[in-house]
Amino acid sequence: MNEEPKEENKEIVNDEQKLDDDLKEKLIRCEKDRDEYLEGWKRAKADFINYKKEETKRFEELIKFGTAELIQELAAILDSFDFSLTVLKNDEPARKGIFLIKSQFEDFLKKHGFSRIVVSKGDKFNPVLHEAVGEIESEEPEGVILEEVSRGYRLYDKVLKPSRVMVSKIKGQSQIKE
Amino acid sequence: MAKILGIDLGTTNSAIAVMEGGEPRVLENAEGNRTTPSIVAINKSGERLVGLLAKRQSVVNPKNTIFSVKRLIGRKFSDSEIERDKNWLPYDIQASMQGGVEVKMANRSYKPEEISAMVLQKLKLDAEAKLGERIEEAVITVPAYFDDSERQATKNAGEIAGFKVRRILNEPTAAALAYGLNKEKNEKIVVYDFGGGTFDISILEVGDDTVEVKATGGDTHLGGDDFDKRIIEYLVAEYKKNEGVDISKDPLALQRLREAAERAKHELSTAIETEINLPYITSDSSGPKHFLMKLTRAKLEDLVRDYIERSIMLVRDTVTAPSPKGAGLKLSDIDEIVLVGGQTRMPFIQEEVKKLFNKEPHKGINPDEVVAIGAAVQAGILQGDVKDILLLDVTPLTLSIETLGGVATSMIPKNTTVPTAKTQIFSTAADSQTSVEIHVGQGERPMMADNKTLARFILDGIPPAPRGIPQIEVVFDIDANGILKVSALDKASGKTQSVRIEASTSLSKEEIEKLKKEAAEHADEDQKKKDAIEAKNQAESLVYVAEKSLREAGDKVPAEIKDAINQKISRLKEVKDGNDAEVIKTATSELSQEIQKIGESLYKNKGDEPKQPEPNNN
Repeated sequence: MNEEPKEENKEIVNDEQKLDDDLKEKLIRCEKDRDEYLEGWKRAKADFINYKKEETKRFEELIKFGTAELIQELAAILDSFDFSLTVLKNDEPARKGIFLIKSQFEDFLKKHGFSRIVVSKGDKFNPVLHEAVGEIESEEPEGVILEEVSRGYRLYDKVLKPSRVMVSKIKGQSQIKE
Repeated sequence: MAKILGIDLGTTNSAIAVMEGGEPRVLENAEGNRTTPSIVAINKSGERLVGLLAKRQSVVNPKNTIFSVKRLIGRKFSDSEIERDKNWLPYDIQASMQGGVEVKMANRSYKPEEISAMVLQKLKLDAEAKLGERIEEAVITVPAYFDDSERQATKNAGEIAGFKVRRILNEPTAAALAYGLNKEKNEKIVVYDFGGGTFDISILEVGDDTVEVKATGGDTHLGGDDFDKRIIEYLVAEYKKNEGVDISKDPLALQRLREAAERAKHELSTAIETEINLPYITSDSSGPKHFLMKLTRAKLEDLVRDYIERSIMLVRDTVTAPSPKGAGLKLSDIDEIVLVGGQTRMPFIQEEVKKLFNKEPHKGINPDEVVAIGAAVQAGILQGDVKDILLLDVTPLTLSIETLGGVATSMIPKNTTVPTAKTQIFSTAADSQTSVEIHVGQGERPMMADNKTLARFILDGIPPAPRGIPQIEVVFDIDANGILKVSALDKASGKTQSVRIEASTSLSKEEIEKLKKEAAEHADEDQKKKDAIEAKNQAESLVYVAEKSLREAGDKVPAEIKDAINQKISRLKEVKDGNDAEVIKTATSELSQEIQKIGESLYKNKGDEPKQPEPNNN
């Protein structure tokens, strides 16, 4: 019987202890949640700011390069003018007219950011600007451009189409495995 | 938490994507392209080139340009496939000490995973440059038929490139994920993947949170490149027949023809006929020669028909053949078909696939990017596993407020991501109006009566003022749980009223669809009604202004002008309640012109007034 009050006291102490523990646990959980939410919120905000910056850049790019496909198709027509000029004789009466139309057309394209990749015989092959479509044996040093097969061009600083070229190869050397 | 990169490491081309704001986004590489050739080379100066630059020099450096390394990764040198590929791949392939495969590049031997790692490293750097943050983790896709060793080697390649590889994902599963098909339960899916150099078929079964590969098939040496070859062969032969010139011997002409043929192939996916026009393509003794030929879609289909029929036959086999060769299913068991690979843009392929299954295939996502997008979706799921406390909802229908004439004025348009808030200032419609009713509705119809009412409340105590003067600020605020709070504040008196609507987004899927359908059905007639009401509102406000101006001008305006204006006012009053917006607009514009005469005559009168005597300073 003497034990009883002691038990009761112990129980009260235990209850208080339990409440205390519960509250502490709840506090820890709340703090953890708070940190997590705050972190998520900061991240979402940062994501949004970054997205806005990125979007502005993307928009600028879109305006600058939105015409890429059109310019590329028009450049093919410019190439055709070039082909006709190489074939027409200098004293042909229509030649001058075609030359002028071509210049007019090229100037128009240039105004919109177009430029040609200029290639000369003997230039070193550079995959940033050129695409090799074949090799020709020659006396020239290995790896230099011998002929431009189809012209390349840029829109502003971006290579829209590389210049397609034939590259020199030392006589008698083959890279293809036997 | 850094982003996880989704990577489609392809045989010919690779692509990368990430999740951004809950949506997958394909990233461009440093050259500004959305796909990167899976090619690595070491040029004569000992410089390593990866991607497009490696491709551009491949013709002149074939022994040191490694492509299609995916065909070799994780394989044994003794495999029959290696035996076959060894014969056509231009670079040296040899056995490693452990019996695996090695390739030689610039006198050094590399394991295929080292080569793949170089491609992955470029993709990693390009993604980091694009996103402006470091990327440590990746999801990499592999064909469904890859065995353990090929998967492990791909994973190693990722790790050599500096990634922690979170998942090796099957390509067809990625494609299904991109279309959200993983959410469908117990469905059977066919993925038809026609790439540049390989043709893969996979039969998938979606169960509870799992996607099981039931069977795979295809042809590892059939692809879109074969189509291009056929087209060029045909064009060369036709030209020879018609013009007697063999342009296949002229590298310049052939290059131009190759470019034109590729363009023509692409155009024929949308057009029925295209023209290949190459002036001055070559010349002979008679002078310059031009190339002008029409290519029809039907001709193109004819040229490659056998390839497509073969692919369809392979699909049928893979679905119906008993296990382990096929999935042992009936064609009618298939629930969904997904198209992957650039060549599937060809309408003929889409039709043949549709005919086989009698079902429309999924094809909305760019077929060159669908696998990378699926990899990003998987990356998103993995990211979400770690910490996804924010799942944002959208408003399914437009939330609006009723304005003059019963018009539903949109406050928060449908599909707006919540939480969000919108503020707008409204005013009164009549002179000395002391209260306004705020009627909140939901729906897509322009007239409030046709939408669902969510709440109504009155804001009163507005100090009497002429119409249009009081400023009532209305705020719609939806929190993340879809609870809408609408408040109205009279800026002059500071009086405010508000209401909380719990169920603004809790419509059932059916209800939302019904409301949207109704809106679409009534779009035309609703618009007419709305136009008429808007015209009426404008007319009423102009009548108000005109009458007020006449009153204020009093006798300063000659009687004939007053009469003319009054006549126009009566005319407008007559027509304004009709349903013809045009008639109301005409009458409104006539009145509007007429009342300008008040101003004119007032200014004229002012000019006639005697001048004030000059002040005399003397």
